[in-house]
Amino acid sequence: MSTVKEQLIEKLIEDDKDSHCKITIVGIGAVGMACAISILLKYFISFLDYSVSANSKIVIVTAGARQQEGETRLALVQRNVAIMKSIIPPIVRCSPDCKILVVSNPVDILTYVVWKISGLPATCVIGSGCNLDSARFRYLIGEKLGIHPTSCHGWIIGEHGDSSVPLWSGVNVAGVALKTLDPKLGTDSDKENWKNIHQQVIQSAYEIIKLKGYTSWAIGLSVMDLVGSILKNLRRVHPVSTMVKGLYGIKEELFLSIPCVLGWNGVSDVVKINLNPEEEALFKKSAETLLNIQKDLKF
Amino acid sequence: MAALKEKLIAPVAEEEATVPNNKITVVGVGQVGMACAISILGKSLADELALVDVLEEKLKGEMMDLQHGSLFLQTPKSVADKDYSVTANSKIVVVTAAVCQQEGESHPNLVQRNVSVFKFIIPQIIKYSPDCIIVVVSNPVGILTYVTWKLSGLPKHRVIGSGCNLDFARFCYLMAEKVGIHPSRCHGRILGEHGDSSVAVWSGVNVAGVSLQKFNPETGTDNDSENWKEVHKMVVESAYEVIKLKGYTNWSIDLIESMLKNLSRNHPVPTMVKGMYGTENEVFLSLPCILNPHGLASVINQKLKDDEVAQLKKNIQKDLKDL
Repeated sequence: MSTVKEQLIEKLIEDDKDSHCKITIVGIGAVGMACAISILLKYFISFLDYSVSANSKIVIVTAGARQQEGETRLALVQRNVAIMKSIIPPIVRCSPDCKILVVSNPVDILTYVVWKISGLPATCVIGSGCNLDSARFRYLIGEKLGIHPTSCHGWIIGEHGDSSVPLWSGVNVAGVALKTLDPKLGTDSDKENWKNIHQQVIQSAYEIIKLKGYTSWAIGLSVMDLVGSILKNLRRVHPVSTMVKGLYGIKEELFLSIPCVLGWNGVSDVVKINLNPEEEALFKKSAETLLNIQKDLKF
Repeated sequence: MAALKEKLIAPVAEEEATVPNNKITVVGVGQVGMACAISILGKSLADELALVDVLEEKLKGEMMDLQHGSLFLQTPKSVADKDYSVTANSKIVVVTAAVCQQEGESHPNLVQRNVSVFKFIIPQIIKYSPDCIIVVVSNPVGILTYVTWKLSGLPKHRVIGSGCNLDFARFCYLMAEKVGIHPSRCHGRILGEHGDSSVAVWSGVNVAGVSLQKFNPETGTDNDSENWKEVHKMVVESAYEVIKLKGYTNWSIDLIESMLKNLSRNHPVPTMVKGMYGTENEVFLSLPCILNPHGLASVINQKLKDDEVAQLKKNIQKDLKDL
């Protein structure tokens, strides 16, 4: 006796078990779910699954211990290294061609850790890095000027955290660099105190955690933005955490945010920004801060 | 010494105080409220979003978190405050505020606790947005939609509960799993009370217009060898199960989109059923309704079998007892 399904539907071809656009999200805390809902709302992806990850095109890693109120991202490190050691090898076994997007904090160090453990090329392991910091930066600039964030351009690079580097020389609207209108922009002697905007970006996470216990929506949207560039091979430029050995005088294997071209293959190119001496010094300081932690890591 | 902004930007038009065209307010920033908020933002349904709650710190934190994602969104203005004045001129107000349903808590108990909350909220909403449409999500939704209607003084077509829309979505999803087709092509009706005694209209269950009962007249009954009735049971239990696992239910609100985009889609939502199916009582139960920018435009006359009408009437009796 055939079932209702068999009577209703006549099969013409075999089911295609391999979905075309599979994304895996590891970790279903607030951040993981915010990523999931942002991606679902924006894209019609055929399969969004966090338990069976085989043949994923992108694996988003949000798993990890949550940053406590007042705890720095760096204090989370060793706890999250242990977690990565257990989840990364099986993921890579099941999806050897995937791109891994690391969101867990401290993101720059953990992107390095995930890269080391995965054995994947460095271009395939990307940290969400300063994509969110730059989004916050542009939002705050937009508020100050009364303009939508998408029309306010500004980049934050380096560590996603306390030592991030705001590139004041590049902040512009319609190509008009704000620094040409006010050479003191971003300095301590700036009467309009634009520097405070960068401080607000750094403090954002701490403040939101104090108010609601964690952050979720903005990071979810930021991840959706990165996923879009990768999946659709857009080749947009994002400030994300990538291997910076050989750039700006850095000799060690280290992941920091710089402007990267993102597409199908992960990071295909990086944009060579001209850093002025002050910005370069800050970037190197960012690097040192992370190296100090990284060198003590036990794998 | 001109400020940087003045050096950069020269205004060319008089600055006008703008009244928003499509403002949506969400009352309550718990999990359900925030799920509504992020969905509204993600689908760009509003030109202004307002959030209200009594928990000031949580409210501020949630607002900041949403605002930081502005770069990726197209909703130019978001505001949040304990004071309802921020909700002024809303087209739609989504009420998710409620005390949480405790594991195993009965509906009558939940009702009393929520009625007191609504007695404060609803008059505030009407004060600042007298022409709005109110969408009630808080549970038990049928009853609270009735309470909202009574407290607001709004005409009945402007008070809508999210009701069986969620049950309907879940039903279609589970049905789709069983049949192997996308949920949007599986059609089923769940009417009546959102929850324990919702009514599955098996006579209407179909895929692409082909009724399942045509192949198996026992579909949905106890004699059905494929046990389709189980699908409906899973929908009823899913609310309790999800509460146990996650502490709340959310992620499924698309009524607002139907209204704002004038899609004239039909949804099973609570509406006033006095005068239908032989009832003279003022009770809100889910029936398939067409939603447009003015609210609930029409109710679809569902052709129901006798046992389905009987079940619906039983819903009505039960609701009246609880009030």
